[in-house]
This record gives sequence, C-alpha cells and structure tokens, in this order.
Amino acid sequence: MSYRCPLWVIPFIFLLSLQVKADTPTLRVLAWPGYADGDIVAAFEKRHGVKVEVTMVGSDEVLRSKMMENRGGDFDVIAANTAEVHYYADQGLLQPLRPERIANTSRQLPRFRDYSRIPDVVVDGRIYAIPYVWSDMGLIYDRKQFSQPPDSITSMWDPKFQGSVLAFNTSNHNFSLASLSLGGDPFRIKAADFARVSEHLVALRRNVLTFYSLPEEAAELFRSHNVALLFANYGRQQLKQLRDAGIDVGYAIPREGALAWLDCWAISRGARDPVLASVWINYMLEPEVSILLTERQGLPNTLQEPNEGGSTHTLIWLRPVEDDKRRAELWQRIVSGERPPLELR
Amino acid sequence: MRFGIAFKLGCLMAVFGMLPTALAGYYIYNSSRELLLQAAERDLQTAVQVLGRNLQSSLHNISLDAAVLTHGPQVRQLASINDPAQRSHVQDDLAALFRAMLLAHPDYMQIRLISASDHGLEWVRQDRDGNHIVRVSGADLQEKGHFAYVFEALKLAPGDVRISPIVINREQGAHSGLGKPTLHVSTPVADADGKVFALLVINVDLDQLFSQLQSDLPDEYQVYLSNRWGDLLIHPDHRRTFGFDQGRRLFLQDEFSEVSRLLDTSGPNSLISRSVEQNQQDGLVAAFVRLANNSKTSEPFIILGLGQLQSHVLAQASRAGGYIAQIAVFFSLLALLVAFIVSRALIRPLRNMTEAVELFSRERKISELPPRQDELGVLARSFRAMKQEILTQLEDLTHSRAAFEHLARHDSLTGLPNRRMCFERLEQALISARQSGQKMALLFVDLDHFKEVNDQWGHRFGDQVLQAVAKLLGSVSEARDNVARLGGDEFVMFFEDVQDPRKIVALLEKLHVCFQLPLLIDGKGVNVHASMGVSMFPRDGNDIGTLIQHADHAMYKAKSAGKNRYSFEVMVEN
Repeated sequence: MSYRCPLWVIPFIFLLSLQVKADTPTLRVLAWPGYADGDIVAAFEKRHGVKVEVTMVGSDEVLRSKMMENRGGDFDVIAANTAEVHYYADQGLLQPLRPERIANTSRQLPRFRDYSRIPDVVVDGRIYAIPYVWSDMGLIYDRKQFSQPPDSITSMWDPKFQGSVLAFNTSNHNFSLASLSLGGDPFRIKAADFARVSEHLVALRRNVLTFYSLPEEAAELFRSHNVALLFANYGRQQLKQLRDAGIDVGYAIPREGALAWLDCWAISRGARDPVLASVWINYMLEPEVSILLTERQGLPNTLQEPNEGGSTHTLIWLRPVEDDKRRAELWQRIVSGERPPLELR
Repeated sequence: MRFGIAFKLGCLMAVFGMLPTALAGYYIYNSSRELLLQAAERDLQTAVQVLGRNLQSSLHNISLDAAVLTHGPQVRQLASINDPAQRSHVQDDLAALFRAMLLAHPDYMQIRLISASDHGLEWVRQDRDGNHIVRVSGADLQEKGHFAYVFEALKLAPGDVRISPIVINREQGAHSGLGKPTLHVSTPVADADGKVFALLVINVDLDQLFSQLQSDLPDEYQVYLSNRWGDLLIHPDHRRTFGFDQGRRLFLQDEFSEVSRLLDTSGPNSLISRSVEQNQQDGLVAAFVRLANNSKTSEPFIILGLGQLQSHVLAQASRAGGYIAQIAVFFSLLALLVAFIVSRALIRPLRNMTEAVELFSRERKISELPPRQDELGVLARSFRAMKQEILTQLEDLTHSRAAFEHLARHDSLTGLPNRRMCFERLEQALISARQSGQKMALLFVDLDHFKEVNDQWGHRFGDQVLQAVAKLLGSVSEARDNVARLGGDEFVMFFEDVQDPRKIVALLEKLHVCFQLPLLIDGKGVNVHASMGVSMFPRDGNDIGTLIQHADHAMYKAKSAGKNRYSFEVMVEN
C-alpha cells in the first residue's frame, strides 16, 4: 500500500499543474515592431498577473496570412491599419468593441474618438477598432524660401517653385494628391476624371525637380538643389531627418488635408478572453505607453497633438482606392515622361 | 600480463613518437592554410584593383564616346537651325551616328539627344531592342527633365561628363534596356557661344559591361558591386540585387561587415573581408575596393568586390593537409612498431630472469641464462650469485637444525635416546601394539652402587661406565632406538611383538650374566652390577606411565631383594 501512494500522486500533481497553468491567462498579441516592446509587455504581465505572447509582423501581407491561418483564432488582439481592419471586419474575423468600457479612450484626442469620421473603423454600425498610432504626409518646406508655411497642396504645382519641388515616386498617393488638389475625392477618382487627373500629374512632373524614393535621397537632393518644398511621404520621421542634417525646414499640413495612415487595436473574433484584450488596449492608451511609442519610433500617438501641423488641420485617413492597377499603369507612363494627351487604355 | 610494464612502456614510447609528428603536421597544415588564404587574398586584391581600373577605363571610354558624339558639327548647329526640314535632316544624320555607335557597343542600350528646354524632351533617340536598333520618334519621344541624369548634367560645363548612380531602368518604352541595371552617361551639348542647349545620354547595361570586364577573370571569382550606401547592385545571387527598387534594401555590409569602413570616405580605399553569414567552410573571402568618381554631380564612389569561396582556396591546403596527415600516420605507425620492438627486447630478459627465479624458488635449481654484457646481464649475474648464496646458507641451516634435533632427543653422554625420545618411541610402539594386538615388554635397568663408583673413581670414570653400559644394552636390543637413558644410572629398554615371555627371561638372564663380568675401562676391570625390573603390555598396564611404574616397582623389588638381580615377578607366579 505504501508504494502505491506516490503513483497516485504523480498524475494528480500533473493534472494540478495543468490546472494551474491554465489558470494563468495568456494574451496573444499580433503587432508591428515597436508597438509592444519587451519592457512594456513585462510591465503589463506583472500588473495583471497574466502572460503575453507577442507575434511581430512586418507587412500587411504577413499580417493577413497570420490572421487567415486559423480565422483569427490564434490571436486575441491585433494591431492593423484602418483599411485592414475594415477587411477583417468584413471577413468576420473581429468582434465589435465598446470604447466606453476602455477607460483610457477618454484620454484620446477628440478626432480619434469620433469613430464616425474615421473610415473603416465602423462597419455596419459597429466599432471594430481603437486608434493607436498614426502618421501624416504633410509638406516640408524651406523656411528661407517661404515666409509663410505653404497652406495648400497646390503649392507643388506653383511655377514659382519649378524645379524646386520634390515629390514621391508612387502611384496611389500621387493620384490621390492630384485629385485632392483638383477638389476631388482622393480615393475615388471618377472614370471621367482620370484624364484630367493624369494631366495634372504631368503638370506636377514638369514642375518638380524629381520624384524621390528613399528618405536619404530626398534629404540629399533637398540640400544640393535648393529645394523649396517636399512631399513628406515618410511623415514627421523625414522632418526629423532633414533637421538632423542641419536644414532649416518646417512642416505644414495643407488646408486640403494631409494623407495619413492610422493603426488601431482590434479584438479577434476568436479571442479567448475579450475582457483581457480590452484591458490590453486600455493599457496601450496609457500616457506612459503611448508617449514612449512616440519617443522611440517618432510616430505620433493618439493622446497628444504633434508639435507641428496643429490640430486645426484635417487628416485624410488612407482608404482603399478605386483602382490600384490603373493608377500604377498610368503612373508608370507619366513618370517615364509621356506627353499629353495620355491615351487612356 | 594485462597492461604490464611492456605495454605501458610501449604506449609511452608510441605517444612520444606520435605526438611530435602530429603536432608538427598540424602546425605545418595550419600555417600553410593561412599562407594560402593570404595568397588568395593578395590575388583577390590585385584582381579587384585591376578590375576596378578596367571598369574606370571602360567608363572613361564611354565618356569619350559621349564627348565624340557631342562634338559633331551637326549637333552644334542644331541649336541655331529653325527650319523644320533642315532640322529633321540633321536629326536623321545624328540618328545614323547613334545607330553606328550602338552597333559597335553591345553594352550600350540607348543613345539620346535630349533638349535642355521643353522639360527635357528627347530630340533624337535610338534604342536597342533585342538584335535590332530602333529609332524612337514623334509622339513617342518623352520628357526626361525630372531625371537626375538630365537635371544634373545640365549643370555641368560643356565637355564634362556625368556618370549616374546605377538604377533599374523603369522608363516605359526603353525597349531592351527596360528593367535592366543601367548606368546613364550624360554630357551637356553647347552651341557655338558655349551655351548649353541639349545633352547627350548613353545608357549602359551594367550586366553587359560587367560580363565583358569579367571575361578575363577565373570562373570561381564572384563579383560584387554596391553603391555608396552599400545597396547591392551586382551579387552572385541576382535576387539580392537592387533591393531598394522593390522597397527592401539589402546591403553589402550586412554580408561583409568590414565593407562599412569603405563606405566612409575617410576609411581605407580597399580591404579584405570574410563573409559573416556562412560557416567557415562555405564562407567567402573577398577583396573590396572603393572606386572614387571625380565628378561632383554623380555618385561619389562605388564599391567593387571580388569574392572567392574559402573552400576553393582551402582545397589546396586540404590537399597538402592530406599529405601531411599521411606522413604523420606513417611516422606514427613507425613509432608504434619501434616502441613494440624495443619494449619486447627489454622485457624478454626480464621475463627470463623471472622464470629463472620462479624455477629456483620452486625447485632450488639454478638455470643458466644467455650471457649479456649490459646492465641486465649484471642483474642476472647478481641474481645467480644471490641464489648460490641462498643455497649454501640453506644447507648449513639444514645441518645445524638436524644437529639440534639430535641433541634435543638424545643423551649427549651415551648417544642413546633420552627420556623425551624414549617416551615418543614408546608411545608409537604402544599404538601399533594396540592396533595389532601384540604384546610388549618394558625393562627398567638401574646400576647398583653407581654412586660409590663415581665417588671412588671420579665422574669421568663414571661417565665411561655409563657409556660402556649403554653399549652393552645396545648390543642386546632389537633396534638401536629401543634403548634409552632416562637419567643418572637409569636405563629403559623395550621389546616389541613379544610372542613368548620366555625369550625375555632368556634375555634378562643373558644381561645378568654380562653384568657379572668386569667392564674393562681405561685398562681397569670394574665390576658393575645392575638391578632390572620388567613390565608387560598389556598385562601390567595400558599406558606408558603405568608400564614404567610397574617396571620400576619390579626393579626396586629386585634391589630390595639384594641387588644384582632381575625381577620378573609375575612370570614367577605363572
């Protein structure tokens, strides 16, 4: 009888340990590098007595493949941009959120709480994501050549700056900008308007020094060619880079608004513990955490206005465009130097 | 003999034989490996510098071609001709010239004359399209003013040439050049007054250019090229090149960490690096050189590199290593063999000696060993002398022990057994008599008036009397040891297997008669008489004590009856 006792105890202890392990809740986070740094995660784990597993993704494509793998069942909370949030919500991979139950949303700037004006976050009348981090694409200008900050996007077409404008070599944003400067919808160019917008881009081409691709390249051209105006595709990170290079530049959001992307937190449909996921989102919106993100990554958070550009200006959250392919094709022809009239195929 | 001294000695000698060979082999292999690597590095460094100079001279030749084209008289005229027909005629002539140039240089993809005004509109353009040369004209001519090869070159003085950074040509309608890594060589064209009104651009296909440059290099050399940031432009793995064109930058310095020193213009101009990613075997050894460009408006420098698989370089070293290993193994085996032989030669005489000693201790025999003159021979001889010494001493010991033995068991005066031996003999005789059921007789003899003889004639005389009596008793005894002197003038005799007691009586009578005769001692006749008593086994007792006591009794009876007689009283009763 005496030797049987330990044999009984072993599986019992094993089951008990499983029980204990299962009792420590685990939060599975899918995020971008810099969004959930080790120290931030450790503090959360300590405070709530939970375990957090962070999976990093580097692109929207990888994010999608991870989400699709098990229809979101592998993760509790994810970070994605607004367009992706909309896509996942359509696919039924997310569950609606109650922002009023996430206390720290009250700390956010009003424009990040006005869900109806943030595209793609509200689907079928339900809120699916909480904004976390964003970046706008304003105009960087040479303070010596501008007495007043440029107030319109049309400055890029201003003949006064012919050969002193730097634009970005990309199809979607350039079409959006051209459409915006013509007073149209940046993401929904009507078929009839394509010729006009394209020709407007040819005009831009004739006014710019060149279309840059890399931020370093832009910084160098800015300095060596006495550039007056630059479309900051890389946002305020680019502003910092130019200033670090010793160039006296300012940052302006044109009155038409600046294109901007917005990354949000959302809760997966397959979340094991939606309440814990909400606690995580709440934690991410704490001032220390959000401000640390800005300090470390140079990206604006949703609690404070960035230093420049001001709150009075509009941000135009990026949305899926009417026809990626068509824009890309046309852009390729425009940037190659084709002359109008561009035949639209 | 497991792990005996021979084995240990052999091992030790083998180790001492093999160790130096192995160490020397390893050292030679290592140093030759390092030498070969260094030689390969030097070769690579020379080759990359030659390749760099060839590249620079190629670029110089392309620049010359560009300059030649701009110096044609028609080109300069173009600035002043306003008549469209005449203009078109000049352009046709230029197009033919461009065409000839393209035909002569397979690495040229495109030659263009581009206007300095009209947003960089192309005026004359010839494209390579596979095996054909295609002239692009009319509405297909494009505006190129926003490209760096245009706006940068227009800032140059006439005669200066700009060589662009290398990019992937994404300009639509570029025919064969589309999607190719391209170098734009551009130079401004000035009119008679020196005013720049156009520029000439030659597009060079980097792959073609390098396939020409590389044709003289050994096949195993791998070419690397990066721009000033380290972005890979040429790499053995084509998928890794022009990462920036796909928004995913791949750097040379990530693969060869030392290259980052070249990227800094204050650093060295050339260096050697070994790849970081792979392991030692598949690793690359590469030489890099920074090729500077004097033109201010172009890329300040590029990094050119030549790499070679270390395993390729080390193949020679490993061949040498193979030979060295063979030699090492041969000498090690030799050392092993010598160790075996030597240890055996040393051990055999030792073993022989051991056997000789064993034989000696077993059989006390001294065996002969083959004579030797060395230390082992001395040892063997010493052993032999020692054995002889032992034998001699052993013999002496045996002799003296026998003498002691005799002394302990015999009376020193008469040589007869003493009381102790007498009792032992008697005990043995009794045992055998009991077993066989035989009878025995014990005779006790005591000399009469022996004290008076001693007093009268001295002890020496008394001793001679005792010796004579002993002789007398011995003469009648069956066996020599059956007579014993118990002490003083007392003697005992015993007789085994007494079948008839009368024989004893006869013997007593005979002895009595003898005692009546005078003993002749020192020429004197002395009368010595004796009283004798007899006891019989098993009649008078079953043990020595009782038998002696009985015989003693009988003797005293004879003595009290008047001495010089014998008593055999029981016999009388019978």
